[in-house]
Amino acid sequence: MSNLNQRLKKMGNYASVSLVIIGICLIISEFFVHRHGEIKLEDFPVFPVIYGFSASVFIVVVGIGLRYLLMRKEDYYD
Amino acid sequence: MTNITPGLLMIVAAAFVPYLPHHIRQVFMLIAIGFSAVSLFAGEGVHWIIFVFGQKLILHNADNLTLPFGIIFHIAATLNVIYGWHERRPMEHTAGLAYAGAAIAALHAGDLITLFIWWEATAITSVFLILASGTQRANNAAMRYLLVQVASGVMLLAGACLYWKESGTIAFGAMELGSTGTWLIFLAFGIKAAFPFLNGWLQDAYPEATIIGTVMLSSFTTKLAIYAFARGFAGTEYLIWIGAVMTAFPVFFAVIENDLRRVLAYSLNNQLGFMIVAIGIGTELALNGAVAHAFAHILYKALLFMSIGSVMYRVGTAKATELGGLYKSMPLTMIFCIIGAMSISAFPLFSGFTAKAVIMKAVGYEGLIYVYLVLLAASAGVLHHSGIKIPYFTFFSHDSGLRPKEAPINMIIAMVIASVFCIGIGVMPTQFYQILPYELNYQPYDASHIVGQFQLVIFAMLAFTFLMRFGFYPPEISSTVLNSDWFYRKLAPRIGKPILLIANKIGEGANAFLIKFTKQFISRISHIYQHPVTGPVTPGPAAIALITLLMCVLLLTNIF
Repeated sequence: MSNLNQRLKKMGNYASVSLVIIGICLIISEFFVHRHGEIKLEDFPVFPVIYGFSASVFIVVVGIGLRYLLMRKEDYYD
Repeated sequence: MTNITPGLLMIVAAAFVPYLPHHIRQVFMLIAIGFSAVSLFAGEGVHWIIFVFGQKLILHNADNLTLPFGIIFHIAATLNVIYGWHERRPMEHTAGLAYAGAAIAALHAGDLITLFIWWEATAITSVFLILASGTQRANNAAMRYLLVQVASGVMLLAGACLYWKESGTIAFGAMELGSTGTWLIFLAFGIKAAFPFLNGWLQDAYPEATIIGTVMLSSFTTKLAIYAFARGFAGTEYLIWIGAVMTAFPVFFAVIENDLRRVLAYSLNNQLGFMIVAIGIGTELALNGAVAHAFAHILYKALLFMSIGSVMYRVGTAKATELGGLYKSMPLTMIFCIIGAMSISAFPLFSGFTAKAVIMKAVGYEGLIYVYLVLLAASAGVLHHSGIKIPYFTFFSHDSGLRPKEAPINMIIAMVIASVFCIGIGVMPTQFYQILPYELNYQPYDASHIVGQFQLVIFAMLAFTFLMRFGFYPPEISSTVLNSDWFYRKLAPRIGKPILLIANKIGEGANAFLIKFTKQFISRISHIYQHPVTGPVTPGPAAIALITLLMCVLLLTNIF
C-alpha cells in the first residue's frame, strides 16, 4: 500500500471520529437550545438529525436501484 | 452613456477580441465589462426605446429585479475572464464575452421581442463554448444543445406573437397562464430553466464544453430563465410542484454519475428547483429568496466548476474513477473546492445558508409541508453529491497515482475572489439582503436555526461516512447514466428511422409513378397533335358565327 493511501486512510479515520463526536455534541445541544423550525414537524426533538441521516441513506439506496435501470456502458451513445 | 443597455458594449467589444494580442485582450475584456456595468447605475425606469415596424421595443428597462441579476452577471463575466486568462485561443473569449453580454442585455429587455432576440443570441454565442472542445463528441453535443436552445427561442417568439394578438401588448411583465401564447412562453422558459424531462440538454452539453466554457455556461443561461420566470410567472402555482420535483430527482442521478462535471450539472439543476419553488410561491419574501439563491448559486457553482476545471486542466480528466488523493498536489484548489462545497451544502457562515434560509422560510410560512420536506431532503442530497462526493473523490478517496502541479495563478485568483464572495455573503447576510428586490428584515443567525442546520448537514455527512465505511456506498463506475436526452438521442431515432424509411419509400414510389404518368400523358398529347384523325382543323365562318352568338347569349344572361 502506498504511503499516500495509508495517510488517506488515517485522515478518513480522524474525520469519521470527529464527525461522530460533533454529532453527539449536536444531539446534546438539543437540551440547551430551544430549537424550532419553519414547520411544526421540525420542532420534534432531533428531527433534523433523523431526517438528514435517513434522507441521505434513502437517496443512496434509490441511487443504487437506479443503476440497474439507467446505467449503460460508457460508449452507449457512440 | 447609462442609457445604453448593459451588456451591449460587451457584445460589441467581443467583435474586436479575436484581433487583439493575448494579455491585452484580457485587459480589454475587463474594461468592456466595467463600462457595461456603468449602465447599471441608470436607476429604475425605461431608458432606451426604439420603434420598429410600429412596435415599441424597450431595449433598456431597469427595476429592482434586473439590478441584482445585472450585478451578479457582471461579476460572473469578470470571474470568467480571470479564470480563462491562460487560454491563448480567442474562440472561447469571444464567445464568452458576447454570451455574457447577450444574457445581461436580455435581463433588461422590456418587451418579449427584444427578449427573444437576446434569448437566441445567448444560444448562438454559447454554442461556441462547446464547439471549442474540438472533438466529434463535443460537436454532436453542441448541435443537440443548439437545437434545444433554438427550439426554446422559436417557442418564445410564437408565444410572444400569440400573446400580442390576445392582449394587444408585447410588454414583458407578469402573465397569467391560460392561453396558448402564455403556455408557449412558459414552456420556452421551462426549457432553459431545465424543467424535469426538458433538462437533458444541460447534463448533456455542459460537461462537453471546454474547461473555461463550462464555467461560463454554468452562470448565465439557466439563471436568465429564472429571472424570466420571476418577471413573467411569479405566483404561478404549477411552479411550486415543478420546482419540488426539480430539487429531488437530479439528486439520484448525481449519486451514480461518474463524470464530476456532470454531477455538478445535476446539482445545478437541483438548485434551480429551489428558485423555481420560490417563484411559484411568488410572495415578496419568496421572490427575495429566489433572487438571493440565484445570486449565491452563481458564485458557488462557478467556484465548484472552476475547482474541478483546474483539476481537469492539470490531469486531463474529471472522472471520479480516475481521480483521488490530489489534496497534497493541489492543496489550494482543494480548499476552494471545499469552500464551494460548504456553500452549496448551506453550512452556516457560507452563502448557501443565508440564501436558502429565505426560501425555506417562505415555504414554511405558506404551510407547504410536503414541499418543505422535499426541499429539506434535497438539501441533504445536495450535501451528499456536491458537498461530499465532489471533494472526496477528487482530493481524498484513494491514491490515483496522479501528482499534478497546483492550478495556474490566474485560476487561483478567480477562485479566491469567488471564495471571498461565498464567505462574505455567508457572514454578512444583512448587507447581502440589501441588494434584493424587496425589503427583507430577516436574521438567519439564531441559535435554533444554526443548531438545526448543523444537525441536518452533519448527520447527512455521517450517513455518507456510515455507508462508505460499511461498503454500502455504490462504487464509482465509468458509465453513461441515461437522462431525458435519451428520448431524442435513442428513442426518437429508433422510432423515427423506420418511419422515415417507409415515408421515403412511399415518396420514391409516388415520384416514380408521377414521372411515368407525366411522360405517358405528354407522349399521348404529342401523338394526337402529330397524328390528327381528320387532318388539321380550322373553324369555318359558320362555326365562328355560332360561337360568337353563343358567347353573346351567355354574356347577356349573366349580366341581366
